[in-house]
Amino acid sequence: MQAEVPSPSLGTRIATVAGHPALFSIVLAFALGWAVVSLTGGDAWFAYREMVDGAVTGSGLRNTLGRAVPIIGMALAVSLAFRSGVINLGGEGQMVVGGLAGAVIAIYMPGPGLLVVPVAMLVGAVAGAVWALLPALGQTRLRLPILITSLLLNYLARAVTGYLVRFQLLDDSVTLTSTEQVPPDARMPKLPLFGGVSFSLVLVLILVVVIWVVYGRTVAGYETRMAGLNGRFARYGGIQVERQTVAVMLAAGAIGGAIGTHMIVGDAYRYIDGELVLSGLAWTGLLVALLANNHPLLILAAGLLFSGLQIGGLAMQRNADVSWRLAQVLQALVIVAVASRITFAWFKRRSDRGVSVSDVEGAGVGEV
Amino acid sequence: MFEQLFDAALLDSVVRAMIPILLAALGGMICERAGVFQIAMEGMMLSGAFAAVAGSYLAVHSGLGILFGIGAGVLVSLVLAFGAVSRKGDPIVLGIALNLMAIGLTGFLLPQIFGVRGVFQHERIDGLDRIPVPLLADIPWLGPVLFNQTLLGYLAFLLVPATWLVLFRTPVGLRLRGVGERPLAAESLGVNPIAYKYGAVIASGVLSGLAGAQLALGNVVQFAENMSSGRGWVAVVAVMLGRAHPFAVFGAGLLFAFAEGLGFRLQGNGLPVQITDALPFVVTLIALVAARKRFARLLDLTTAHN
Repeated sequence: MQAEVPSPSLGTRIATVAGHPALFSIVLAFALGWAVVSLTGGDAWFAYREMVDGAVTGSGLRNTLGRAVPIIGMALAVSLAFRSGVINLGGEGQMVVGGLAGAVIAIYMPGPGLLVVPVAMLVGAVAGAVWALLPALGQTRLRLPILITSLLLNYLARAVTGYLVRFQLLDDSVTLTSTEQVPPDARMPKLPLFGGVSFSLVLVLILVVVIWVVYGRTVAGYETRMAGLNGRFARYGGIQVERQTVAVMLAAGAIGGAIGTHMIVGDAYRYIDGELVLSGLAWTGLLVALLANNHPLLILAAGLLFSGLQIGGLAMQRNADVSWRLAQVLQALVIVAVASRITFAWFKRRSDRGVSVSDVEGAGVGEV
Repeated sequence: MFEQLFDAALLDSVVRAMIPILLAALGGMICERAGVFQIAMEGMMLSGAFAAVAGSYLAVHSGLGILFGIGAGVLVSLVLAFGAVSRKGDPIVLGIALNLMAIGLTGFLLPQIFGVRGVFQHERIDGLDRIPVPLLADIPWLGPVLFNQTLLGYLAFLLVPATWLVLFRTPVGLRLRGVGERPLAAESLGVNPIAYKYGAVIASGVLSGLAGAQLALGNVVQFAENMSSGRGWVAVVAVMLGRAHPFAVFGAGLLFAFAEGLGFRLQGNGLPVQITDALPFVVTLIALVAARKRFARLLDLTTAHN
């Protein structure tokens, strides 16, 4: 039995899209960013124009796509965990540990690139997964919240990798605290696209599709979703939540470790101590996953957006003398607004209090 | 070797490391008691540190620095309170986003306002003076350590018994705990839970802002990007380990501060900085494992949604 639903008019549709919590939050963040730039003596209009220009023109598009690779990858990693209710804040540590492990293989393993690069990615993924296994077992065996342990392990990962680079793997020929360079034939190939985008882009796109299919079409996808919605109910329904926690953490850590390796074999070509932490990629990925509500296709879109913000931000810094860190502020503001459920409907209700508007806004961020 | 390590200088660096952690943790404790999950202390502390340096630079006086530090902490806390209490948003998401926003905003304002990147030092920045307590400061060994602190140092230590008194011996404290433990019961008795939750979050904003001021004007006299470096998260763990009880939170804070102070000391003895930096976090993780039974509530909160 289905009631006839009148199809909404075009005007209503546009209003619905514009009133979508995520889109509205983005607009709001840019408006607040405008105020911040103006208040600190910058020309906001010029800065924003330079930002958009820098993200898509010249080498901007190539750089935006290039930076979107790790951002989308880290977002996919954290979304796996978030979606099943596991709050993994350890992406940074998993990326750093995996990145160094992969770098060691890429630098020291002999053999053709066709063999070395995949092995490096694999070893990076395994190292990231092992690092993620620690907080997972901590939660399932010792009942320590992953939220806290995974985060604390980030600081430990910084220290351990920093020590290894400084005292075991240091390249004395440069002033950086860095490993040696990855030999040219052990680097990720580039696609002939916009003047050279890393082949990792293809890998990430495949990952998006695989995860999308797994979520929508498989039992595992259904079970992780159920566990994320309500852990107790899922357990009652026969889903082994503990095993699932370990599984999603292993998967998240593996993706994080592979992305860390990509940053070495496909981007920097040497492991410089602190670079992966400073890049903030893991945290940008986390914000992307939140904005996209863990949906793989939306992660693709949101990842491109945040990548463009950062690449455009660098151009803005060069040309408009406004620090690129504005991009970080905008990203965080978007999530604060989404999480606070500040929506068009809410604003409208505040402005015309006489009119009763039903509570229409969606949760936005979901269950995380 | 032990005589070389454990002396008054070590004790002094432990106390210095402790003050910011303790201030932030006491704020987190108040929120925990009011039933607000608070993990934004890291961002509040960092914002407070930046604002304190800015205020002190402007007035060439640490007093304005302290006020600015409080102001920044309160501003962040208002965003958190609005989102988590008024709008019933997820406090974990809000906390993470606010922490990241603090890193971005301070990193943005540093070059925009002061024209430098990374670290901002200036002779105009007035640091917090150490104020020795007459007579007590002359007690051998302990005197110079405990009774020669900054204003905020004394405040942090006095707040331990003070918060205990307010929480467990006054009607306000009773209502606050009621709001946290039995919100419906408290409401039916005429207590406004929203007001109490706002109060708790703002209090933690004040305290974390002060923690930042101590960090940037007391422990050092400069602002460095991301200088809170995980202390706000250590404070979160201290609240959990201390089960939101003032004296136990103090004990947990002391443990972490001891690890930080010892690490600082071992660094002086030639151990690599990478190892000594990790020490507080290793100790924190070990303490977590040792006291693992205490986290049932957080585990429920973060695993069984809805």
